Amino acid sequence: MKKAVELVLLLLLLFFTPHIMGKRYSPPGKPTLTRCRSPEKETFTCWWEPGSDGGLPTTHALYYRKESSERVYECPDYHTAGENSCFFNKNDTSIWVNYNITVVATNTLGSAFSDPVDVDVVYIVKPNPPEKQTVTIMEDKGWPFLRVSWEPPQKADTRSGWITLIYELRVKLEEENEWEMHLAGHQKTFNIFSLRSGGKYLVEVRCKPDHGFWSEWSSTSYIKVPDYFHREKSVWILLTIFSAFIFLILTWLLHMNSRSLKNCILPPVPGPKIKGFDNQLLKNGKSDEIFSALMVSNFPPTTSSNYEDLLVEYLEVYVPVEQELMQEESKDLHGGCLKCERSTSDSDSGRGSCDSHTLLMDKCGETKEEGRHTDRASSRMLTEAQRHQKGWEKDTLTYAHGDMVSPDMSNGRVKTWPSVFSPLPQYSSNPLDKQSSLEMAKQHCLSTSSCLTQPGHSTKEALGPSNWDFCLGNKQPHLLHPQTQVGRQLQAHSEVNISNIGRKQAPAGLQSPALRSTEYVEVQRVNEEDLVLLQPVVSGCGRIEGYPQMPKGKDYSKVKGVDSDNMLLLQREVMEEDWWTGNCYTSSTVNTTQKPTACIHTAMPVQGDMALAMNGYVDTATMCTLPTC
Amino acid sequence: MERAVLLLSLLSLGVSSQPITDGQRLFSIAVSRVQHLHLLAQRLFSDFESSLQTEEQRQLNKIFLQDFCNSDYIISPIDKHETQRSSVLKLLSISYRLVESWEFPSRSLSGGSAPRNQISPKLSELKTGILLLIKASEDGAELFPDSSALQLPPYGNYYQSLSADESLRRTYELLACFKKDMHKVETYLTVAKCRLSPEANCTL
Repeated sequence: MKKAVELVLLLLLLFFTPHIMGKRYSPPGKPTLTRCRSPEKETFTCWWEPGSDGGLPTTHALYYRKESSERVYECPDYHTAGENSCFFNKNDTSIWVNYNITVVATNTLGSAFSDPVDVDVVYIVKPNPPEKQTVTIMEDKGWPFLRVSWEPPQKADTRSGWITLIYELRVKLEEENEWEMHLAGHQKTFNIFSLRSGGKYLVEVRCKPDHGFWSEWSSTSYIKVPDYFHREKSVWILLTIFSAFIFLILTWLLHMNSRSLKNCILPPVPGPKIKGFDNQLLKNGKSDEIFSALMVSNFPPTTSSNYEDLLVEYLEVYVPVEQELMQEESKDLHGGCLKCERSTSDSDSGRGSCDSHTLLMDKCGETKEEGRHTDRASSRMLTEAQRHQKGWEKDTLTYAHGDMVSPDMSNGRVKTWPSVFSPLPQYSSNPLDKQSSLEMAKQHCLSTSSCLTQPGHSTKEALGPSNWDFCLGNKQPHLLHPQTQVGRQLQAHSEVNISNIGRKQAPAGLQSPALRSTEYVEVQRVNEEDLVLLQPVVSGCGRIEGYPQMPKGKDYSKVKGVDSDNMLLLQREVMEEDWWTGNCYTSSTVNTTQKPTACIHTAMPVQGDMALAMNGYVDTATMCTLPTC
Repeated sequence: MERAVLLLSLLSLGVSSQPITDGQRLFSIAVSRVQHLHLLAQRLFSDFESSLQTEEQRQLNKIFLQDFCNSDYIISPIDKHETQRSSVLKLLSISYRLVESWEFPSRSLSGGSAPRNQISPKLSELKTGILLLIKASEDGAELFPDSSALQLPPYGNYYQSLSADESLRRTYELLACFKKDMHKVETYLTVAKCRLSPEANCTL
């Protein structure tokens, strides 16, 4: 009885003591086998991680089973490899045999089994790092290189071929962060080239069996490369001298060609060459005086005989229909002319004549036309104009409303400025520098890109004369109508041959553009209503006769824009009728009236850049389709 | 290409007066071939294992321990000590038998992919190479009749009599056993080669 009571008390004590202490005991947690490794394929070690011990002292035991055998063995050596490990020595290790290993944790309350792990020694080999690593500097024709050599780990038996190792080494400079890896294969030496002079290198090696894991990196070897690139400074000196020499040569060349370079980079700006225009007056800023100076006594010409004196110059002025441009153009004639005139040392008038093939946009539209002489140079100038116009392509393209103007189709209105606007004789007598005149013309055209544009309409009929619109100063308000109003297109022809007064050469000059088969209209006279009477060159109704029918090859349309598919959107122009007088233009006017609204041509595929040779005006002759608005 | 090399080496074997060098060359060829086969086997096995699901994998692992490989009857050294104790000839003969035991079953390994199809012919070539090596070694004449007299039981039926359920298990066993055997052959051949060429450090 007493014993029973004691026993009960003891049991109670046992149970409650932990409760009083505030602790709980439990069976141990499940241990896990972390890894098993063999350093040389002859022995191996397994490590495990114990679970919670449940507050009680726990013991671990490792049991294993070899494949195809039910016999269970216990780990032979728990201590060699450290804590929580089991070491299998050579006698216990069999290769190509599957081991089924389990770890058991036991304490007084219970035991826990880990998950079994299958191990084949062949596939868990992780050798020790290579040993006896040496790094030396050797030279190869004056260039140093590193030679790294090492020995396989001692335990790994590579000599008998039991284990075959491949090696890998890595190199880096001391200050760098990234290692450079090199696979060395089976060899035990390696050369490293391309060293930095004076650099300090770190080298490490590791190895791996054919089927296994990489070893740890060996201990680092340090090596310092001697300074071998002592010629560095001399090379820099040589380079400096050489570059200085080149620089001197270049400077001298520049100096020799400074003038031509200047002309190339900064072309001279033509100055205004308006007869009777005084720069000083302009600078003084007294507009009255300036304008009075521009007044010419014989302007406007009242006698018809003056038309012989008229310089036949053809200006193509492109007048856009936008409001803003119109506002610009709302300046009066003189103002516009002033703008156009940028004279330099040339004796040109403000308005240069542009190539007849392109409709150049002329802001003023109504500056005077110049007369030029020199028949011979006409063709030459024309070609020059063509060349120049190519360069103007881009400028003209910026004008969204490009219209197709074809002289033949009477789309474009070429405005020819009668020379009566300016004291022509004075100018005509001056031999003009063709180059500069062209330039000036082009500059005019370029600067006046926002000229009134005239939506041209394309008519298939070959109108004898091309239609040119005048941009007379007085008529400017008319010109500035909205889109319904016909925009003017001033076609500036870089007229090479400006016919002198009474010279029949003028037609020849007009004919010179026959190279490109354009038609020209010659100004006959200006009547009282400020209408300029034009004579078509080809129609024969004018004074100029004998012109051969210009081959219809060139139609001009204004380019409205270029859309995404590289399609040119052409714009038609509609002309108002009230500008046209004379029989020669009736046909054209009729056509224009029939098309009161501007219509846009169907987009035509641009054929290369040739179609856009002219300033915004596309040569319809090269187009696929003709506008059929 | 390798066949041409083998033929060339055969020719040179007959003509040359330095059989040792030719033997070394033959060994190198054989070792490289078996290494390639082992890599193939490893790849096949890992591909197969990765295609399995975890549950299947665990089950197969357990099963594998219980079953035997078809080549288990061939007594082969299973550790370094035994291997080093064996003579070159013994190693070669064991290798030969191992390779031969797989010649037929490897055809069932051939699935559709190209590497699988190459296994069987490669094994045949390897077998021929090992035979040459056996002949080239000094005691070849003695062992040769042994090998020919060895009658290997037909394995084909052993693996072909598979039911649908067990095919997965069988494939797993096949691949695992094949991998192991190839590694064995590789090791034996490497050890034999290194033993024949004492001057080299035998790292190649």
